[in-house]
Amino acid sequence: MSNPRLISIIASLLLGLGGCGGGSNGSPPGPPPPPPPPAITKAEAFQFLNQASFGATETEAQRVIEMGFEAWIDNQMAQPASLNLPYLQSLPIVQPMGQMNADRVDIWFRNALHGSDQLRQRVAFALSEIFVVSQLGALNGRVYSTTSYYDLLVENAFGNYRDLIEKVTLHPAMGVYLSMLSNEKPDPVNNIRPDENYARELMQLFSIGLIELNQDGTPKLGAQNQQIPTYDQEIIQGFAHVYTGWTYAFSNRFRNPQRNLLSDVVPMVLWPEYHDTGPKTLLNGVTIPAGQTGDQDLAAALDNIFNHENVGPFIAIRLIHRLVTSNPSPGYVSRVAGVFNDNGRGVRGDLAAVVTAILLDDEARPDMPIEIDGKIKEPLLRLTQLWRAYDATSQSGRYPLSFVYVIFGQGPLQAPHVFNFFSPFFAPPGEIRNNSFVAPELEIATEYLNTFVTNFMFYQAFAANSLSTELREDDVFINFEDDMLVAADVDQLIDTVAGKLLAGEISDALRNEIAAMLTLIPATDPALRVAETIYLITTSPEYAYQR
Amino acid sequence: MKYLNRRDFLINGGAAAALAATPGMAYSQVIGNAAPFDDYRALVCVFLHGGNDSFNMLVPRSNAEYAVYENARQNLAIPQDQLLAINPLTSDGALYGLHPSMGGIQSLFESGHAAFVANVGPLVEPTTRDQYRNKAVIVPSQLFSHNDQQAQWHSLKGASTSKTGWAGRMADLIRSNVADQQMTTNASLNGTSLFQSGDQTVAYVMGANGPLQFEGFSTDPNSPLFEQRQAFGRIVDAQYDSIYERGFAEIQRRAIDSADAVSAAITSAQNSGQITTVFPTGGLGNQLQTVARLIASRDQLRMTRQIFFVGTGGFDTHDDQNNAQPALLQDVSDAITAFHAATVELGIAGGVTTFTQSDFGRTLTSNGDGTDHAWGGNQIVVGGAVSGQDIYGTYPLLQIGGPDDTDNGGRMIPSTSADQFAATLAKWFGIPDLDLDIVAPNLQNFAQRDLGFLV
Repeated sequence: MSNPRLISIIASLLLGLGGCGGGSNGSPPGPPPPPPPPAITKAEAFQFLNQASFGATETEAQRVIEMGFEAWIDNQMAQPASLNLPYLQSLPIVQPMGQMNADRVDIWFRNALHGSDQLRQRVAFALSEIFVVSQLGALNGRVYSTTSYYDLLVENAFGNYRDLIEKVTLHPAMGVYLSMLSNEKPDPVNNIRPDENYARELMQLFSIGLIELNQDGTPKLGAQNQQIPTYDQEIIQGFAHVYTGWTYAFSNRFRNPQRNLLSDVVPMVLWPEYHDTGPKTLLNGVTIPAGQTGDQDLAAALDNIFNHENVGPFIAIRLIHRLVTSNPSPGYVSRVAGVFNDNGRGVRGDLAAVVTAILLDDEARPDMPIEIDGKIKEPLLRLTQLWRAYDATSQSGRYPLSFVYVIFGQGPLQAPHVFNFFSPFFAPPGEIRNNSFVAPELEIATEYLNTFVTNFMFYQAFAANSLSTELREDDVFINFEDDMLVAADVDQLIDTVAGKLLAGEISDALRNEIAAMLTLIPATDPALRVAETIYLITTSPEYAYQR
Repeated sequence: MKYLNRRDFLINGGAAAALAATPGMAYSQVIGNAAPFDDYRALVCVFLHGGNDSFNMLVPRSNAEYAVYENARQNLAIPQDQLLAINPLTSDGALYGLHPSMGGIQSLFESGHAAFVANVGPLVEPTTRDQYRNKAVIVPSQLFSHNDQQAQWHSLKGASTSKTGWAGRMADLIRSNVADQQMTTNASLNGTSLFQSGDQTVAYVMGANGPLQFEGFSTDPNSPLFEQRQAFGRIVDAQYDSIYERGFAEIQRRAIDSADAVSAAITSAQNSGQITTVFPTGGLGNQLQTVARLIASRDQLRMTRQIFFVGTGGFDTHDDQNNAQPALLQDVSDAITAFHAATVELGIAGGVTTFTQSDFGRTLTSNGDGTDHAWGGNQIVVGGAVSGQDIYGTYPLLQIGGPDDTDNGGRMIPSTSADQFAATLAKWFGIPDLDLDIVAPNLQNFAQRDLGFLV
């Protein structure tokens, strides 16, 4: 443990101290000669693409090598957004509409696998794990609404965070999911007071979290070295009163509102007579005065949250977790939060700048990796990476895996609750927890779900491939026929498959085990040899790891 | 030389491998010298995710107390004449009833196999309304927040930064007494839980119907797929540079080790026909049925102490509570009642104690058609060892702004601590009195170390 960056991270974790940047990123004094831009290696391109897309492929890696990281990002941000709702709306409506979740997941996979806007799709998925709504629960049958909500995240992935939280707040899917819809002003006679659900979760989960943070994400400490809560129950109630008076557009009544397919996808509207007009306590000692309209209250409340100092480090950590690493150094968090606070042109909340800062930071591609760099791949990304690398499709061209969360523990808008598939604070017992590190994705890497994924990879490699004669029209199959051409040569086969899935960086242990297994399979059965290789790689710890 | 072929994978691979328990599978990570237990005991935690509105589960039905309840709950009140009457052996002067969908629990209560613990919740020290409002006592951090209060129930960490769960600590404490067990003391059928996370022990996580077996593995050395299992295992056991790969590999290793033996145990219990009780369909019923099968196989797996974690969701009734609550509570009642009946069939009811936990109770006040996050709540305890037909602890006055309310939202301040609740269960489980403070770190702040609901 002699690496200065690791020591700095551990010190900040153990002591609650604000680090002042990672040690290894400092430059020596004096004018350094500008080095020529180093050529990007295939391994670096893969690492970058596993952070910035739904899975590295050799083709895309070549583009990254040719363009460079920055130009690739700029190009990606200029791509038109691949949306979901237009496709859903082109289909005949099926009743009950919950069945159309298969279509929603289908178009999601098509965009995730084939969208030219890979970076936007990946960031939107990350946002969907922060601003969580889920098909599982009250929204099950409201497929247009969840689809439209996802498109909101796609369209605003590189927008401004302030706009994003307003659109999220007023979207009817969120209104239903966190019960702001038809939330009304107090009725003291009947012991009725505003619903606190959205008020609480917008702050706890979407913006500032529970405790005051330094810009580098470490906790601010009070006089007794104690953590400082960001809000109390009075503030929750203040915001709960703000979020009164909103319900579906086009409804004739506020209570038990009517809805239709359009009101499921357009912002909720204000009914002034149901909005509380008293004064309201917000964050940081701010009180909004009595007598404001619902729109004024909402704007004041969202501005109040948006300008809280926690948002930068909070969103920086959440997005770094989803894209790059589970244990960023305080310096990394601080650099990204600084960009959130000011994109260099005086704008706060510029998500395009934040995403760029995350991906271009030295710590996203460390010269000398340490044992806490990187993360466990989200299980769904283990699947999409394989599918992208091996051109997965089905006879119908569809990917209607509405049950994907059952196998992988996650799927698009399929979280079990607003706390997402896993907690950003999850640390399994053992060295990770003992050293105060986290590994969020390991919360769903249970013996049970891991085995589900392992068995799915087994099925995918051995049964659901292009050689199978028993596929149904919607069965998604991979195509490894090219690899069969080299299957007679064990080493060449391993190099080929590992080249597609691991950028060629396969450990000796894994290579040797695969080679031994391949000797048990006659060279006359190249398909089985390739399947075996893909199976053992995609179920290995090194494939589950995102460098 | 034996060859693998496609048929091996697709036919043998899918077949369940019959397997005797393999020596060396026990997880106990410390060689102990403590004596093994000479009896079998299991704790079954039924976690009601989201925060059960348990003041609609156990409700005062005598006129004066009902009037206070009805005034507080308004449109969320259960009609007085629909409450299922229960008759506790010890009276606090009021009469009580259960939610009308909980007939199973009513029967268990009246026959002495179920009890309630009233207004229990996470506390650091005894707390009154004045003390709470004047910040004169330490209270658990982030009250009313789902994940933080779930974590409190799981860990009993109070104001500390403990990172283990109280079932995890129990398993740590007894690890040398159960060194012969073929499965971890802690097993979850409802995902990873802090509750079962120890320092020296980990929980094994299976699905509602048990573990999955690995496709394409054989444990028969004569099968060509034996080598597949071995190779997979050696890959998992290789050295890795990152904490993430190591953490992932550790889970894979446990999965390989346990899948066959645990599946075989469940299957043999299923085939034995020992359990004829019909469980309700649905997640909780399935989970508890699997727990019953594992308990039936306790000798096969050489288990003497087990803690099971099962759970069900949907209790976060911010909306539409009057329509949602009956089915939620009926599922809890029916599943727990069936599970108890199964343990009676197995002749082990006296060795199995089932209890509920939930994030928190809910506001007595309404937000129109639902309720918000609160604090204290009522919990169910069921089993042959339970001193049933009684309500333990103090049922609060359900008055808005009254002596048990934090403020004027109807958030009941717990009168019994979750530490006392846990310690009572832990003592029965076999944890020595001196170690109860390790299981329940705030227990020392409360006079009563044993609530008395277990004999």
